[in-house]
Formats: sequence, C-alpha cells, structure tokens
Amino acid sequence: MANRYQNRIELLQGTLDLLILQTLRWGPQHGYGISQAIRLNSGDILQVDTGSLYPALHRLERQKWIAADWKLSENKQRVRVYRLTAAGKKRLLSERSRWAQLSDAIAGVLEPVKKESEA
Amino acid sequence: MKLPSWPGKKQQQLEKEIDSHLEMAKRDRVDRGETAQQAEAAARREFGNVALVQRTTREQWGWVWLEDCLQDLRYAARTMRRNAGLTLVAVLTLILGIGANTAIFSLVDGVLLRPLSFPRPDRLVFLTDYYPKGAFVVMRDQNLTMDLIANTDSTEFNLTGGDVPVRLTGTSVSANWFRVLGVQAAMGRTFQDGEDQPGKNGLVILSHSLWEQRYGSDPNIIGRSILLEGLSRQVVGVMAADFRYPSPKTELWVPLDLDPRQVGDYWGSSYMPITGRLHPQTTLQQANTDLTQQRPKVLAAFAWRMPNDSWIMGSVIPLQEAIVGGLRTSLLTLLGAVGLLLLIACANVANLLLARAAVRQKEIALRSALGASRWRIIRQLVSESVLMSMLGGALGLFAARYGLSLLKATLPADMPRLENVAVDIRVLLFTALLSILTGILFGLVPATGSSKVDLTEALKTGGDRTGRSGNNRLSRTLVIGEVAISVVLVIAAGLLVKSLWNLSNANPGFRAEYIVTARITPNPSFCKEAGRCQTFYNDLLARVRALPEVNDAAAVNGLPLGGSFATVPSDVEGYAVPAGAHVPMLMERVTTPDYLRVMGIPLLQGRAFTEADTAESAQRVALISKGTAERFWPGKNPIGAHFKPRWMREWWTIVGVVGDVHEHSMTRNLEDWLDGEIYTPYGPHAINDSGPEEPPVALTLVIRSSQAPKRFAGDLQSVVSQLKGDVPVTQIETLQGWLADAVAGPRSTASLFSVFAALALVLGAVGVYGVISYSVAQRTREIGIRMALGARRQEVLYLIVGHGAALAFAGVLIGLAGAFLLTRLMSSLLYGVGAADPETYFGVALLLVVVAIAASYLPARRAMRVDPVVALRYE
Repeated sequence: MANRYQNRIELLQGTLDLLILQTLRWGPQHGYGISQAIRLNSGDILQVDTGSLYPALHRLERQKWIAADWKLSENKQRVRVYRLTAAGKKRLLSERSRWAQLSDAIAGVLEPVKKESEA
Repeated sequence: MKLPSWPGKKQQQLEKEIDSHLEMAKRDRVDRGETAQQAEAAARREFGNVALVQRTTREQWGWVWLEDCLQDLRYAARTMRRNAGLTLVAVLTLILGIGANTAIFSLVDGVLLRPLSFPRPDRLVFLTDYYPKGAFVVMRDQNLTMDLIANTDSTEFNLTGGDVPVRLTGTSVSANWFRVLGVQAAMGRTFQDGEDQPGKNGLVILSHSLWEQRYGSDPNIIGRSILLEGLSRQVVGVMAADFRYPSPKTELWVPLDLDPRQVGDYWGSSYMPITGRLHPQTTLQQANTDLTQQRPKVLAAFAWRMPNDSWIMGSVIPLQEAIVGGLRTSLLTLLGAVGLLLLIACANVANLLLARAAVRQKEIALRSALGASRWRIIRQLVSESVLMSMLGGALGLFAARYGLSLLKATLPADMPRLENVAVDIRVLLFTALLSILTGILFGLVPATGSSKVDLTEALKTGGDRTGRSGNNRLSRTLVIGEVAISVVLVIAAGLLVKSLWNLSNANPGFRAEYIVTARITPNPSFCKEAGRCQTFYNDLLARVRALPEVNDAAAVNGLPLGGSFATVPSDVEGYAVPAGAHVPMLMERVTTPDYLRVMGIPLLQGRAFTEADTAESAQRVALISKGTAERFWPGKNPIGAHFKPRWMREWWTIVGVVGDVHEHSMTRNLEDWLDGEIYTPYGPHAINDSGPEEPPVALTLVIRSSQAPKRFAGDLQSVVSQLKGDVPVTQIETLQGWLADAVAGPRSTASLFSVFAALALVLGAVGVYGVISYSVAQRTREIGIRMALGARRQEVLYLIVGHGAALAFAGVLIGLAGAFLLTRLMSSLLYGVGAADPETYFGVALLLVVVAIAASYLPARRAMRVDPVVALRYE
C-alpha cells in the first residue's frame, strides 16, 4: 500500500482536465471508468483522487465541454455517463497543443541540467 | 444523527453517481477475488470522505455560498423548533431589546437626525439672540451673507365671529418668511415682500387643520375676511397639512407689523428670534463675522442711544441645532440606555446558547468528524442565532410601533419635531441591521467556544459529565457583565428619579394648592379706551369672588413657570452698567393688589400694593423680588430706591421686597438674559412691555377654590360672557397641573429610565438564575458526593447562593465603576443630586446583590433537595 502511494504523482494543476477530455475521446464513460482508465493507461502511476475527479467532471459539465446522461450499465445499474461535446473536442485540441508546448519547454529546461550533472 | 441532505434533484443525482462509483469499485474487487465485505470497505476507503467529495463537487455548481446559507437557515429553523422553550425565552428577550432600541431610535432619528423638512435645510441658520423689529429690519436690509427672516415666538389670537370666541396659537412672520424658508401654500399664496408694512399687513394664512375644522374645508376661503384680535384680516392662503412651523401648535400666520412710528414697540419690545438662509458659497464663519461687523450699525440705528458695549449680539448656528440642540443630551442618554439594555439581552441569550452548546457537544463533534470545517460549524451556529434575532427583530418592530405610541404619550407634548417620529423605512433598515449584528454578537461568542472540539473527549460516552470549564467561565463572565450593566442602568434611573423628586418638591416660591387658573383675553381694541379694561377686570374679579366655589381671586399678566410676562429694559438708580454688560432687563409682573396673598408669595420687606396704587393719580410704585434686591442693592435697603424704563422720564419707587418665585422653570428663577423681577400694580401705571404706560390686555385669573376646575369652568365662562360676549376663556386648570407640566420633560426621562432599569433588573435576575440553575444541574454529582460525605443541606444552600452572590458582587463592583464614569455624561439632566450620589450608588448595589441572591435561591433549594443516592447513580 505504502509503495503504491509513493509511486503516485500529484497531477499538475489543469492536467486533470486534459486527461478527462482525452479519456472521453475514446467514447462515453462514467466517473469510475474514467478514473480506472487513467490509472490503467498510466501504468498505475496516475491515481485520480475522487475528491478531484468529481468536482472536475461537474466543472467541465458546467463549462459545456462534456455532457452527462444516465444510462444503464452492463450490470443493469444506472450510471452517469459523460461524453465529449463539440466544444469539448475543440478544447481538447487546444489543451493538447498547450501540453505539447509545456512538455517541450520543460524538456528544454531539463536537458542541459541533466548533461551537467552527468559530467 | 443525519446531516441535513441537500434538497433537490441535483443532490440526489450526485449521491446516486457516487453510489454507482462505489458499487462498481466493489464489483471490480470482488471480481479480483476479494470477499464482499473486504471489497466494500476497501472501495469506501479508496473513495475517501463521501461528504467532502460531495461538498467540493457541489461547489462547482455555483451559488453554493447562498445555498449553504439557505441550508444553514433551514437547519437553524428546525433546531429552533426542536428547542421551542429556549427559542421562546430567547426571542422574547430579543423582542424587548430590539423593540426598545427601535422605538428610541425612531425618536432620535425623527427629532435629532432627520434634516428639517425645508428645501436645502443645511443652509438654514439661527441667530442665538432675540432682536427688536427695528434691529431686524436693519439687519435684513444690510446683511451680506444671509437672507434674514423673523417670526415671533408663538402668540395667541382671538378668533371671533363664530358661535364661541376661540383662542388660537399663531405667529407673526416677516413678509419674506415663507419665500426664504422655501415653503408654498397648498391653496392661495404665501406673503409677498412688503406685506409686513403698516396698512398692507391685514392678511392671514391658515393651517390646514384650522381650515378643515373651523371652516369645513371651504374651497372659497381665499379672499374671505376673518376677525382676529378684533381686526379684520383677509385669508390669502392655506398651508399643507404637514406644515406646522415654528410650533406644532401653530394654526395661523400673520405678517409682522413693522411700523417705525411705534417707537417703543419697534425698538423696545416684541423681541423676536431671527432665522437666516446662508447665501450660496457662504460659510457659517463668514456669516458670524458679518454679523459682528454689523453690530455698530444696528446699535446706531436704535431710537435711543445704546451704549456701544451694552448689547452682545448672538452668534450664528445651524437652525436644526437651535431647534433640537437642547434635547440632544436626554435623547442620546435614552439611546445609550436602550443600547445597554440590548447588551444585557444579548448576554442573556448568549448564555442560553452556551448552556445548550454543552448539550450539543456531541453533535458538533460528529459534524466536525464528518469533515465540517471549524468555520463551517461557526457559520451554522451563527446562522441559528441570526435567525433567532431576525425573528426577535421582526416582532420587536411591532412592539416598537406599539411602544412608540406609548412613548409619544409619555413625552412632553411641546417637544419639537415629535410629529416627525414614526416607524418608517429608515427605522426598518436600522432594525434589520441591528438584528443581524445582535445575532452575530450573541451567537459568535458561544459558537467560537463550541467549535473548538476535542473529538475523542467529546465522542466518548459520558465525556460530558463534568461540563466544559471554558464555557462555564464564559457564561460567568457574561453574567458578571450583565449585572454590571444593570447596575449602571438602575443607578442612572435612580439618579433621575431622585432629581425628579427634588424638582417636584422644590419650593417654587408660591403655594400651588387649591388654585385654579383661567386666561382671559379680550381683543386689544377693547382696551384702547383708557379705563375700560380695568373696569371689566374689576367687575369680573368681583363676580368671580362671588361664585359659591371661590374663596379668593386675583389677576396677573402671566403665571410663574413659563407663563407670559413683560420685559422692561431699565435704568436702575445708583447702578452703573459695567463695561461689556447690557442694560438691566427687568421682568415685569403686573398684578392686582391681592395677587401675593392668593398665591402665598411672602412679603419680606416694605408693603404690598393697595387699591390706592391703582388710581391714575397714585404715585408710581413697584415691588421687587429678593434676588433683584440682592443683585442691585447688595447689603442695602432697596425701599425708596427708584428705577425707570429707558424710554420714559418717570421713575417708579420701590415700596416692598417679596420672595423669589420660579418664574422660568423649576431649576431657574429667571431666564438668563433677565436681570431682575419687578411687580407693578394693575392699573394706569403698569408698564406695557416697552410701550407706553398702560395696563396689559390679557390677564390670568388665579382663583383660590377647594373645588376641581371642571366644577365651575361653566360658571366662569358664563360670568365672562355675561360681561362681554367675545372674550375667550382658556387654560382653566389647576396650578398644580401647571406645576406638573413644568417638570414634564424630566418626568418623562425619569419614567422611561425607570422602565428600562426595571427591564434590566429582570433580565439580569433571569441571567443569574439561568447560570446558577445550569451549574446546579452540572454539579448534581458533586453535590451528591458532598452530601454523601456528610455535608449538611444548609451548607449546600450556602454554597450555591454564595456562588450567585459572588457573581453579583463582582458585577456590582464593575457596575459601580462604570456608573461613576458614565453618569457624569448625564449630569446636566440632574437636579439637586450629584452624578456620584453615594446614597443611590449604595442602594442600587444592595438591591442588585439582593436580587441576585433571590435569583440563586431557587436553584439552590433544588440543589439542597438532591438525594445523594440518586445523584451518584445519575449518569
């Protein structure tokens, strides 16, 4: 247990939105499914806290980037399923390009440091 | 214990969403081979605090703050319903506190704070002196900084021509008066410039109520003539219903008669107050400077030479200040008193909530264990107290409306601007604000205390047994504070009652018992012919004396204690006017010879008047008061000394000295601008103000009779109307009633304070009772142990009563110190008693301790009856 927590990485402010939007790109999904998908796709490294997930889902819904419907799950359980809206798709594109810029920038900063420390 | 759930669909959906999340997580774990129980627990642990997740999610919905408030209020309302008894006591206390504050605030607001109801009221100013007509004209024409207007103090007018002659209160105003004040007539017009000149001033403007009552709202009244003081005047206007100025009693306005040919009247008598409207961009300072510079010109314009240093001109002050400035101290003192009362009420309610907070300890602990932040809990608790105080405020508003009508009846009827006082939107806002602040004040104290929860301690069963010492200390402090404030209020009331007692029992210089008064006011024209009025009054007095109910009767130009009088600026033989002082202004009482006897005013030296003094051929004689003798002839015999009115050649000889009479008020013999008092015999040698030698027209009869005035009011009326049909008879009342009116102001302040003090005392006693009862309930086990160990019931009684007495004692000490500091502010309201009167202080201290002991006696008896066996089992 302790190990698992140590491996978890705190999500950068704003990246949760990106992750949610990206996850929903593969199709509508409920809150639990989203958190599982993020965990699995990150190889158990990104663990989404429910205290962040649900507020984020409801915020994105209010911003009309995602929409929610009640559907019946395969276990005949009523679940709230979120899907990406047209506005959400546009948002995802801009979030992704922002993320690409950001990671390039961070990589640029980290590279020289790495070389120096190796030397 | 279930937390209040979020009402509405959205909340239910969120709950379902979370449920489904948990369900799916559990299923996944079961699929992986965990047992159902393990899976459930793990899923929940992984999910975290459901309530917290819900809350943070809800925050994304917007409006959460407001919705939280609504939720708090809804929850608070439910809590209040559950604790109906406590709520009732708290709300009743708050109704008292907030209601009293609302009533007194509407009084202060209507009288002191609200601007005068004239256009640009801030530009209106008042000159703090009285001026003769001539001076007014010079000042009006030459002043560079203000438009000056003048009106006489309230004057009375005979209105004849109807069935019964009536006496009306009115005022004479300068022709520019309405224009400068900025007031229009509701019908017809107001006066135009120049209409205060002789020959042009036969006009009158009626008040709305006079027009309505006397003339049946006649739409054709404008242009009609009415008979005032025997003179015909044309009605030019009717004012709006709410215009009553300068006095609420004013029924009519006539133009001044500015006639320089009437030298005595124009320069000597008919002194009036002057009001002004500052020119735009002029300051009070400039107006004052201008007034000082004008002074030599005004003095030079006088008909007789005024010594350059003889007359000090007044200064310019805001008009509102002039009208209500004198009431400020008593009104603000009242406001202070109800403010203190509210503090006591707050302390009481805070104590109730503290006691309940101890009971709610577990609930609060549970809420905080479930993730409620400290701020959230404080907000919840304060919401409850604010809801409580809003309820108290809303009901207090009704109480205030009722209280205000009682209040208005208690206050002296001649209090300026009383007609402005009402519960209106400003008062409503005040009450709303006050309620919210009150709720926060009495709610915050217990809430901050209660929200600091030691979870483990509070959640343990029976962890509540010993009570919480922090809250106990807080509630003791509150009670001590309450007692201290009660002491201050009761001492203030005690001082006021004592000074009212002193005032009412001060010797006014005459004997008021068994005297009935009646004001007789013939038209001035009737008395123009020499001797006609004198014959009328002689006949009248003879007939009145002959009435079976009457023992004795005399006449005078006005009653003591604020009745009308004449003023004579005089030269006093052997008295040189000191530099910087003004000429001696003598107040004149014109009396029939038996006035001193009927009124019981003692003759100290010389002789009284005789019938012989009233003859045309008689020597001019006068009496003076003792104070006047001491002022002008200190250590010398004034008998045989002389004085004369400044504008006459003839000298009057002083033949006697009489006792001082409270002519002005119960606290002062004479108004401060008067230097002495003279008596002249009613007859040809009376001095008619600064006019010629002639008897005054209106006289007041003083009739010694053992009968109530209403028993012979009718007889009196018919005696007068038999003699002359158009003479109104007014003010038929006992002299004692008149005397009581003279202390109406102090009496209303004292009675209001007594009510507040009584409330403070009751609330204080309830506070002590509450705290002691609570502590007895908490200490039941301890008392049981003491008794099991052999303490006697008597000792238990002493223990508990001693606790109450100790609290009271601490409160009394603080209260005495507070009273010593605060009552000084009201020393101008006191008469014959110091602000630090030891008797009052000691008496009140004793009273409070006794009340506190009585309040702790009831719970102490309960403690005494504790059965140790039951108490020790009590968990």
